[in-house]
Amino acid sequence: MLADALAALQNLEPVAALRASRWVYPLVNTAHIAGIALLFGAIAPLDLRLLGAWRGVPLHLLARVLQPVAAAGLALAVTAGLLLFAVSATKYATTPVFLVKLALLAAAVVNAVLLRRHPDWVLARVPGLAAEPGPRLKAAAALSLVLWLGVILCGRFIAYLA
Amino acid sequence: MLTRRSFFILGGPVALAAALFGPAGLRGALAHHGWRWAEDGNFELTGIIETVQLGNPHGVLTVDAEGEVWTVEVGQPWRNEQAGLTDEMLAVGREVTISGARSADHSEKLVKAERVIIDGKVYNLYPDRN
Repeated sequence: MLADALAALQNLEPVAALRASRWVYPLVNTAHIAGIALLFGAIAPLDLRLLGAWRGVPLHLLARVLQPVAAAGLALAVTAGLLLFAVSATKYATTPVFLVKLALLAAAVVNAVLLRRHPDWVLARVPGLAAEPGPRLKAAAALSLVLWLGVILCGRFIAYLA
Repeated sequence: MLTRRSFFILGGPVALAAALFGPAGLRGALAHHGWRWAEDGNFELTGIIETVQLGNPHGVLTVDAEGEVWTVEVGQPWRNEQAGLTDEMLAVGREVTISGARSADHSEKLVKAERVIIDGKVYNLYPDRN
């Protein structure tokens, strides 16, 4: 049933047009990479700040800029990624490294959501309180770096292993 | 709350990634992108096109060469177009000669086309490669 749905997705007219396109496909690819750049470019300094870098920079100011940038980057990467996936859905769905990428992506998003809801994070973002992140936030930050790098690594390897 | 659950979620994928990226996972699997997986020098193959799947991210044909079925990677749309190769030329039942780089793993019947020859005419996908 899932296989049928994927085949149907792959055969949709706009998806077929994207598969045959000369220039639109590279543009979608570009959007995917730009999304990843925004996401990781925002997440990495935020994680490093939680791990102890740039202690002089207030966390709430950094978070105010970097959190929405990371979220926008993720939205762009996922949107473009869905289009790239649709072009060859049945193949990617059976490519192990792609499934590993999805699992790591899910874990990275869950980690980020849990971090956001953690009381330490809420406290660390109160202006003037200047609470430094505790061990749990640090662990989440380290995990975040590892997970997002894993997502990017697996994504890049799809081209070689698919 | 965070670490224990996250590590639980992580266990499976990380083990799977280790299996994939471990030496055994990589051997013979590095296909498609780039040339590292392929042999140097030119390998030639003539046969009848059996299946065609053209388009992004790259086109794939299967070619029956005297009973042996080979997978042939051709270009994505812009590369085929640059070479003068149209989708109609790569139709099922057509005889083609492929010149290109064969997978270094000879158990894989896989070749990445550098040139496609149809009816004696050469369509060069990679003019900079010999």
